[in-house]
Amino acid sequence: MSLFIERMFNGLAEGSIYALLALALVVIFRSTGQLNFAQGEIGTLCAFFASTFTLSGWPVWLSILVAMVIGFVIAALVERVVVRPIEERNPGAVIVALIGVFLAVNQLSAMFWGVDARGLPSVFPNDENAFFKIGDATIRYERLGIIAVLAVMVLLLFLLFNYTKIGLAMRAVANNQESSNLVGIRVGNILILGWGLAGAIGALAATLLAPSAALSGTLMLGPFLLASVAAVLGGLDSPFGAVVGGITIGLLKAFLIGYVDFLAEMLFPVMLVVLLAVLLFRPSGLFGTEKVERV
Amino acid sequence: MSEPILHVRGLTAGYGQIEVLHGLDFTVADGEIVVILGANGAGKTTTMRAISGMIARTGDVVFQGSSIGKAKPDAVLRAGISQVPQGRGTFTDLSVEDNLRAGAYAMKGSIAADLDRWYDVFPRLAERRDQRAGQLSGGEQQMLAIARAMMNRPKLLLCDEPSLGLAPIITQDLFRILGELRDEMGMALLVVEQNAGLSLQLADRAYVLETGNIVATGTGDELLADDTVKEAYLGGVG
Repeated sequence: MSLFIERMFNGLAEGSIYALLALALVVIFRSTGQLNFAQGEIGTLCAFFASTFTLSGWPVWLSILVAMVIGFVIAALVERVVVRPIEERNPGAVIVALIGVFLAVNQLSAMFWGVDARGLPSVFPNDENAFFKIGDATIRYERLGIIAVLAVMVLLLFLLFNYTKIGLAMRAVANNQESSNLVGIRVGNILILGWGLAGAIGALAATLLAPSAALSGTLMLGPFLLASVAAVLGGLDSPFGAVVGGITIGLLKAFLIGYVDFLAEMLFPVMLVVLLAVLLFRPSGLFGTEKVERV
Repeated sequence: MSEPILHVRGLTAGYGQIEVLHGLDFTVADGEIVVILGANGAGKTTTMRAISGMIARTGDVVFQGSSIGKAKPDAVLRAGISQVPQGRGTFTDLSVEDNLRAGAYAMKGSIAADLDRWYDVFPRLAERRDQRAGQLSGGEQQMLAIARAMMNRPKLLLCDEPSLGLAPIITQDLFRILGELRDEMGMALLVVEQNAGLSLQLADRAYVLETGNIVATGTGDELLADDTVKEAYLGGVG
């Protein structure tokens, strides 16, 4: 039983990171209809920045915040400089360009930070005594902290999307750019903002993950793939779905590895099966909107 | 006649290399309903998009004495021109109420009174305020598109083929409402249409647009009686 609880918390915490990444993917997909392949790599790059900041003596929380700002700026630049000019000429080519950004960012971080793994301290207490007990189960504060960060981020995004004018504009642009123009929304600015927001969330995910994983060029590769599955599972245009999808994938991974030995080595094939099943039986995901429109 | 609220001079516009409008001249007086009649491909939607700044154009557009011929869509809107786009263009994934709020995006200050007002005018929208706009019927969506445009308190309302895809009885209702709006709000209306019968009855004045040129003009009644108009738009000389 205590093992079950431990695995559950591990799964929830890991799932929270996938959920954050999936949220970032969904924010962009809703506004631009593109899957941002470079999302994970931008996050990794920001985690490298954060690690450099902490080494120069900044507090961890400040390093993470500045890394999020950097993530915002990079993603906003990618939208303005790469995505938009290409989309105007050939929408189908954007995905190729994003794979290009993926490779470029990956190489850049190797160039500046080398290929050896480094560390990033956790913003939460994580020495060997930083845990509490539920019965016999050991729950580390760091896990709880990560789950709490996800909860706060979800709350903030919910308030942003539903109770602010900017959020309304973001939803309007996601739905119909032409009409958004007609009601006076500067669509270009909203797109930049959406990408920037996703960049910041992606940076947060990477800086939360880095302390418990090795910070290297491949930090976000696996998590990005799992977050993509999570986003498709939840519905690519549903922020709520992204959270449910991320948590589901996290729990699935924790329990698979914990209880089904022979599947532990086959995590990605299992995820492929999940992905195929979703696409075959519920292509719009668990919470994605099927286009309902009377004419 | 007093200075028109909208004065369009030598308006040309198109898409890429293709010029669709070849120099249009027309006016809309304050409080006037003007209809531009045209068949498919005549350039009706292009005219609307050129006025609202959605596409590049040359020539001049003067609105209330100042030129908006180079203005971007949000500047045209803030000057007091709202557009009901072709095919209604509602935000189908957003609730009815969010559609109206989006319509007031450029407004400063409280919009509660405006919401109440348009729910009053269109009770169906009030009943369905929390539903997604995509679930409304075609006629309801057209009402929503008009209400959304009105949330910006325009002095000139542009309507791009409001009758498109609607049953005749709903179109009739719609044109009646547009007429009432003009009377109550004192705003001007520019409607492009191919439904000559109903729209010319509503119009104070009308222009006939053919392949990017204005080829005839007159009062609504004059054009209704015109043989060429009858033949081209009303199903033969009757």
